[in-house]
Amino acid sequence: MEVKLDKRYELGVPTQHAWAVLSDLESVASCMPGASLGEKTGDNSYKGSVKIKVGPATAQFGGEVEILSMDVANKSLVLRGKGADKGGSSASMELEATIEDAKDGSVLVGAATVIVNGKFAQFGGRMMVQVSDVILKQFVDNFRLKAQALGGSIESAETKVEANESPSVGSGNELNGVAIFWALLKGWIGGLFGKKPVG
Amino acid sequence: MNAPVKTLEERKTELQGMGDSRLRKEDARFIQGKGQYCDDIKLPGMLHMDIVRSPVAHGRIKKINKDPAMAIPGVHAVLTADDLKPLNLHWMPTLAGDVAAVLADEKVHFQMQEVAIVIADDRYIAADAVEAVEVEYEELPVVIDPYKAIEPDAPVLREDLAGKTEGAHGPRDHHNHIFTWEAGDKSAADDAFATAPVTVSQHMHYPRVHPCPLETCGCVASFDPVKGELTTWMTSQAPHVVRTVVSMLSGVPESKVRIISPDIGGGFGNKVGVYPGYVCAIVSSIVLGRPVKWSEDRIENISTTAFARDYHMDGHLAATEDGKILGLKVDVVADHGAFDACADPTKFPAGLFHICSGSYDIPAAHCSVKGVYTNKAPGGVAYRCSFRVTEAVYLIERMVDVLAQKLDMDKAEIRRKNFIRKEQFPYTSAFGFEYDSGDYHTALEKVLDAVDYKALRAEQEQKRNDPNCPTLMGIGLVTFTEVVGAGPSKICDILGVGMFDSCEIRIHPTGSAIARMGTITQGQGHQTTYAQIIASELGIPSEVIQVEEGDTSTAPYGLGTYGSRSTPVAGAAIAMAARKIHAKAKKIAAHLLEVAEGDLDWEIDRFKVRGNEEQFKTMADIAWAAYNQPPEGLEPGLEAVHYYDPPNFTYPFGIYLCVVDIDKGTGESSIRRFYALDDCGTRINPMIIDGQIHGGLTEGFAVAMGQQMPFDEQGNLMGNTLMDYFLPTAVETPTWETDYTVTPSPHHPIGAKGVAESPHVGSIPTFNSAVVDAFAHLGVTHMDMPHTSYRVWKKLKEEGIQL
Repeated sequence: MEVKLDKRYELGVPTQHAWAVLSDLESVASCMPGASLGEKTGDNSYKGSVKIKVGPATAQFGGEVEILSMDVANKSLVLRGKGADKGGSSASMELEATIEDAKDGSVLVGAATVIVNGKFAQFGGRMMVQVSDVILKQFVDNFRLKAQALGGSIESAETKVEANESPSVGSGNELNGVAIFWALLKGWIGGLFGKKPVG
Repeated sequence: MNAPVKTLEERKTELQGMGDSRLRKEDARFIQGKGQYCDDIKLPGMLHMDIVRSPVAHGRIKKINKDPAMAIPGVHAVLTADDLKPLNLHWMPTLAGDVAAVLADEKVHFQMQEVAIVIADDRYIAADAVEAVEVEYEELPVVIDPYKAIEPDAPVLREDLAGKTEGAHGPRDHHNHIFTWEAGDKSAADDAFATAPVTVSQHMHYPRVHPCPLETCGCVASFDPVKGELTTWMTSQAPHVVRTVVSMLSGVPESKVRIISPDIGGGFGNKVGVYPGYVCAIVSSIVLGRPVKWSEDRIENISTTAFARDYHMDGHLAATEDGKILGLKVDVVADHGAFDACADPTKFPAGLFHICSGSYDIPAAHCSVKGVYTNKAPGGVAYRCSFRVTEAVYLIERMVDVLAQKLDMDKAEIRRKNFIRKEQFPYTSAFGFEYDSGDYHTALEKVLDAVDYKALRAEQEQKRNDPNCPTLMGIGLVTFTEVVGAGPSKICDILGVGMFDSCEIRIHPTGSAIARMGTITQGQGHQTTYAQIIASELGIPSEVIQVEEGDTSTAPYGLGTYGSRSTPVAGAAIAMAARKIHAKAKKIAAHLLEVAEGDLDWEIDRFKVRGNEEQFKTMADIAWAAYNQPPEGLEPGLEAVHYYDPPNFTYPFGIYLCVVDIDKGTGESSIRRFYALDDCGTRINPMIIDGQIHGGLTEGFAVAMGQQMPFDEQGNLMGNTLMDYFLPTAVETPTWETDYTVTPSPHHPIGAKGVAESPHVGSIPTFNSAVVDAFAHLGVTHMDMPHTSYRVWKKLKEEGIQL
């Protein structure tokens, strides 16, 4: 199944700090919950893996990440990841990420096409969009922290609190199912009461 | 002292012959959990097989690494297409004249296709090892829509057929085209449409569904390397045909292959085919010299073993202004998936779809079916129906409703007007079928009276006029004719074997009997009903007649059980074999009574000397004499074999009516009433008939109201678990009302026509007719199945209906 994601995230950090994180694939990978980057396999490609655990089901996608293009002037990056899981699933993602200037710092703009095949699509298909939203939210929170760590933050204290409150999933080596479930539930209940869903 | 003399009626009742609702012989073991299914078979030293399957629907296999799997303790072998190549077993012939990959050879053509197998000490190790096999795929563009499959620039799916312009059923005009099959008279149909004052057309999709039997497919293959004999327990609806195929594929002589179909937990067409899992288990057993078991799980069953339907149909009717049908035209695009593995008689790649003129006297008709390859699992079996008859009945019943709506005629009235009349039988249809017998008008009136049709229509009218009514009321009416009992071997064969069936009866010296059959029960109750036929023919109580099926080493060759063929074909074979015994018994009786055969009369369980009531010999007396004092010149023993090649199909029919109430707010449908009148000719066991009808109606309800196999653009089957795939339980199942008329088949020895599939074939368009009828006043002429609450709710919104 195919899911298209178009997202904008306010980062609250200076543009150059955000770009510094984005342009370094290893930094980007470390922001991705459950992801790890392996050996370099070419000029612009690496081995990589993502581990996701939802309830009793664990999927470990092993594959390759390749930077298709990097536009320093426009602070834009296109990358493609492809992988397969031993349990009978495969996934690919093409992502275009750009750092835009904004009044209070910068904005991370992402457009991704994710294709998932096999069991993961069959059983997880209904939750793909929601799960993607949660994962991306966690990714951005980690990304923001990493950019902040470069110093010179101009973000408000409020944002910092929100970032710290989010489930700590980037620190482990897999996506935490309980955290995903909790975030989904929060989003769903939020939606029920007309609040803007989390993420 | 003499025992009290039994009346004729008492003697007849004691036999529990035809017409008796005797309880099922099978149930004692089933309700105690003592059935013996394939997965119950455990042999010493038995290994377990599991299958590595493709996550992608279309791709090239770049590399397979078995090593990590082989390294797991307890794994005996990992086999891929490359291992089967030297045996020439990586591809196998299908029943439809195509070939299918046993294990994917360089390419995968559908999601979850078999890529490799693992043989291990137990099922758990096998499952772990499956995950350890590393397969690299290069993904290729996926084709899901059969119309897109035959566009000029569509991706080539079957590279193995490159350059083949001739298929098993005529020319191929596109790389994804399988066959185009036609029936009827095109120019006569065209003429009818050119001059007819009224024509209607409707496009409809009969969705892909799965028979989903409770027991999935599986087998235990056991090759004895010393004797060179192969025994395989298998979930098969056609064990003898499987033996022939296995012998042809493996090179083991047919006499050394033994296929046993043990108790089978439902087939519904899903267990007709020969699947890669069976072949791989057999090969593994031959290679390893140990028994190998394979059992599908539910996801594998729904995803890969034979689906049903998936017909995209365009129907057209031409008629007079007062509703007399003048012509029928049908064009079908049939999605066969990646390999053409339909299980139809060889000459009929679209089965008996040309029964689509239904119960109506239509002077000119033509149909065309185009089979197409897509990236989906192969199949196209007869799911509780005769070959493609469900699709045909759906088409014609929908079209007659569409025509009635166009002409503002009542559904019952238009049917009355177009029925084949009682006096027209035997009736030859525009497609060439010779309908054996029927009385549609009588049956229709019986149903309309029983439900008070006029009152229902009045209620509907009143509800339509009431804006505050919370429901939409729909009335569905279907008057279908099936064609079953394939079939006459001059036109019907499978792999060249004529579609006869067989029976062997032996009467033991003490008057009990055993009958062995070429068919195999999967819930039909053969052990109960076959005995009743013998009881009536030979005057032996059903209780002492054993019926055995499913073991190719003991049973006579037969084509198996599917397409409602057991009663029409094997049931006839029983009667004919019994009559051979009856004829010999008469000779013995004449000898014992010292009279001429012509002086004897048959009465329930005995031969009597005409005019002398005291002089008689029962079948039990005769059986003893057959072994101990046969007349001179007559060989001892009392047994017979009969292979019955039917002269024609049988044509059961039915009139079904359904009332549905649809909640305007939620789209939920409530089946208020379902009245099913079936005419299956002579009735053998009314209780079993009712049970079969209940089962068929429930499966029809499932198909019409919920079952679907949706695919996304990448070829992922979104709904291959029972979480998604609708299998009704007692909670969802409506209450059924059944009724019957009896119009015996004139060409069948006992006049029986077969019944188990009629309720499935007939009920699906009835539910559909009812749901569409609920929207008919808004100008809606058709809605594709399934009618899930969500889909109906969307329709309510589309039509602007508010609560």
